Amino acid sequence: MSLFRREDLHSLAAPYALDALEPPERVRFERHMKDCDRCAAEVRALSEDAVRLAWSTAAPAPAALRDRVMAAVRTTAQDPVPQEAAREPARARATQLPPHVWGAQPPPRQRVRRRIPLFVPFATATAAAALVVASLFAVQANRTQDELNAERDRSREIAHVLAAPDARASSGRDGRGRTIGVIASATEGSAVVTLGGYSTPPGGRVHQLWLMRPGAQPRSLGLLKDDTPLVATSLGSSATSLAVTVEPAGGSPQPTTQPIVQLALKSVGFGE
Amino acid sequence: MEADELLLLVAGGNHQAFEELYGLVSGPVFGLVRRVVRDPAQSEEVAQEVLLELWRSATKFDPDRGSALSWILTLAHRRAVDRVRSARAAGEREQREAWRAHFPAFDQVTEEVEAGLEREWVRRCLDRLTELQRQSVTLAYYEGYTYREVAERLSLPLGTVKTRMRDGLTRMRECLGGVA
Repeated sequence: MSLFRREDLHSLAAPYALDALEPPERVRFERHMKDCDRCAAEVRALSEDAVRLAWSTAAPAPAALRDRVMAAVRTTAQDPVPQEAAREPARARATQLPPHVWGAQPPPRQRVRRRIPLFVPFATATAAAALVVASLFAVQANRTQDELNAERDRSREIAHVLAAPDARASSGRDGRGRTIGVIASATEGSAVVTLGGYSTPPGGRVHQLWLMRPGAQPRSLGLLKDDTPLVATSLGSSATSLAVTVEPAGGSPQPTTQPIVQLALKSVGFGE
Repeated sequence: MEADELLLLVAGGNHQAFEELYGLVSGPVFGLVRRVVRDPAQSEEVAQEVLLELWRSATKFDPDRGSALSWILTLAHRRAVDRVRSARAAGEREQREAWRAHFPAFDQVTEEVEAGLEREWVRRCLDRLTELQRQSVTLAYYEGYTYREVAERLSLPLGTVKTRMRDGLTRMRECLGGVA
């Protein structure tokens, strides 16, 4: 039905990211993106690039603007949370966690100021918990009984981590908008880890999660399959960070490549 | 607090979080809108709409899909571009060109506001693009032209413009690297 062939639609990712489509094309491309993961991923990356262009134009806003906006906000109702299954609100999911995890008072952790080139933690308990929990609910359909049983066992393990009194969340995002989220309990020595936005490596290779400790070799915590959460146990309080590498099928005894992403564990109570 | 966290609190109707978020993003939002819209009065108007929309539609922010800052600036850019285009369509082009005479072009604007590292960096990276990449990207992003209009202005085939935009953005990414 579309006036555009598929390849033509793909090529609209960059104009879309720059807001350079006419409204009908914009609508058509957005519809196409829903069924095209590759396009969606490309648009996400290109949009982050476009936003960099925005930063260079920042200028102080007039003081009067602030007064007008604040006055308007006091009398403006917020939109209802969207109900589509595909984008079930992260906020609603987050509230299913104990308050100390998802960031209602009191804020659970000390802030670590950041500027790490490979990986910029946007690390907030709220957003992080939302990220992790989002993926818990993302995996449901088309499961065999065995898979469902395994799922249920893992859910129990996850619930156990979440219920720990010192459970804290952290997450980070790399330059391309891909994320890693962790909810961890230092006293339990356990953590729930999820990746978001990392596509499965080509050629049967896998994402492997490593525990980094001072003066010790990285320890494998297992393979990360898509965005399915991984529960890691017996972490030990000296753990300093988590790292993910791309490894040959089945994983490796020790990392054979540079980490694609790393997340410090200090903000979730490790490394004391 | 960071924008991601604040935006999620704003989605829950938290006024204090909104004020804090305003402090973080009003400069980038206003600067971007002014860059695209140019007319000071209209820029304020659009920036106000955007900032109010942040309050209203924070409920729609999905952290899985990208950072809060990216979401906010994408929204601001979209609204600015819509305003410029409807102004053009309404035959206000002359008026806009008149404003343009009063408001210096990109290079001078960047000098007049405080120079930041990011600003310098972006400019340097823009300079490293080929002429056609740079023009394709900046005509669309900063001037609000559609890729068809860009193709017309540069006398290039549509396919070429799409490719230049993509290559330009990708090269910007490589050049800007991990400086966030």
